[in-house]
Amino acid sequence: MENKQSSSPASFIGSTVIPGDVVLDLSSMANQTIKLGDGLREDRDAISAMKAGTLRCKKPNKYRIESCQKRYVPCAGDTVLGIVVDSKRDDFLIDIKGPALAFLPVLAFEGGTRRNIPKFEVGTLLYLRVVKAKFGMNPELSCTDAHGKAAEFGLLKDGYMFETSTGLSRKLLSSPTCPVLESLGKKLPFEIAVGLNGRVWVNAASPHTIIAAANAIMNSES
Amino acid sequence: MEVDREDGRSQNQLRPLACSRNILHRAHGSASWSQGDTKVLAAVYGPKAGTKKNENPEKACIEVIWKPKTGQIGKLEKEYEMILKRTLQSICILTVNPNTTTSVIIQVVNDDGALLPSAINAACMALVDAGIPMRHLAVSICCCVPRSGLVILDPTKLEEQNMKAFAYLVFPNSVHSVLPEGSLSVQGEPIENGVITSVTHGVMSVDDYFFCLERGRAASTKLSDFLRRNLQHQSTDSSKAG
Repeated sequence: MENKQSSSPASFIGSTVIPGDVVLDLSSMANQTIKLGDGLREDRDAISAMKAGTLRCKKPNKYRIESCQKRYVPCAGDTVLGIVVDSKRDDFLIDIKGPALAFLPVLAFEGGTRRNIPKFEVGTLLYLRVVKAKFGMNPELSCTDAHGKAAEFGLLKDGYMFETSTGLSRKLLSSPTCPVLESLGKKLPFEIAVGLNGRVWVNAASPHTIIAAANAIMNSES
Repeated sequence: MEVDREDGRSQNQLRPLACSRNILHRAHGSASWSQGDTKVLAAVYGPKAGTKKNENPEKACIEVIWKPKTGQIGKLEKEYEMILKRTLQSICILTVNPNTTTSVIIQVVNDDGALLPSAINAACMALVDAGIPMRHLAVSICCCVPRSGLVILDPTKLEEQNMKAFAYLVFPNSVHSVLPEGSLSVQGEPIENGVITSVTHGVMSVDDYFFCLERGRAASTKLSDFLRRNLQHQSTDSSKAG
């Protein structure tokens, strides 16, 4: 019993871990159900880290590793910005900066029927919601929210899209409002769409404003 | 018994290490690693959809491209690519992203001895930067046996040329764990005692080889600490972590 105190800290929650670090001891949590998010894996009797990052715990039982990458790991419920790569009979193939291409079913629009299938050309930018993202399968997307309403999903016209890291996108979407967006909003009128996959779209009345806003956001990641 | 090395190091002393991550703008992960004057740049792209023809689609595929500082790509570069590929395949968890390809490109900036170990260290840090899921990190060391005298670590190019034999060794890094010590073992030995890769050149006795392993393992703990400090420092430094 005594030597446990001398060897390891009580918990890693909130501190940086590197791949291989064992972060949770399952034998001491016998009757609880734990949900593992991004970056953690089960290794015999313990949970170990697969990525380098900060270990976060959302009460009561969700654990994940928060790290900042340029590629995206698809997760159900996220909102992303995707680019159409190809269109097939039943779905569009969309690139969301993840390990696999995602599918957007042709009917996943508000009031979508076989008769009014939208025509998206290759290279179109869309604001989408990730419906399913299971291991081994291509992620499935949708242009409606969970209740079937359009809710601002869909085609993004004009404007300028640039890529950032996933960490910056999370920060831009955090609440309370990110200081960069707040101070920009006081000076310039613009509209913005942020995808958790590291893509940001900005639109404003003049190209001047668009470039200023885009540069400000890109440079805010020091 | 003191060994006389040109730059004044002791037999177990490593050259100054320097590592920086996220230096290339377009690559998904990148790292630059230098040990003394040897400097290597590693870039990682991926995971991207699709695997090559002869690869198993149920696992992720790792592809390595080695670019020498000068000259054309020849057999030596292909050998380095193969060694690196096998090493990286054993530390990455290949089942997380099946049917994808991750490309690792190594660019030699300067070669002053212990090139392959520096490349392995750089590739490992670049994979961490790209967020590729890994079992643990790899730390790599070069040990050599001179014609007369004791085993020395981390030789420069001049020292390497005068050696009887040398070995490049790759060990898993030391992990921090919330479990009590001793529970993370494989067949009774702690994980850090395993050897991931060993490449030897020249002729050395079995005793010499085991001695190299022991020295290498001791040095690998120092390297592990360096890696850990580097990763912690960089992640708390930048605003990305918040």
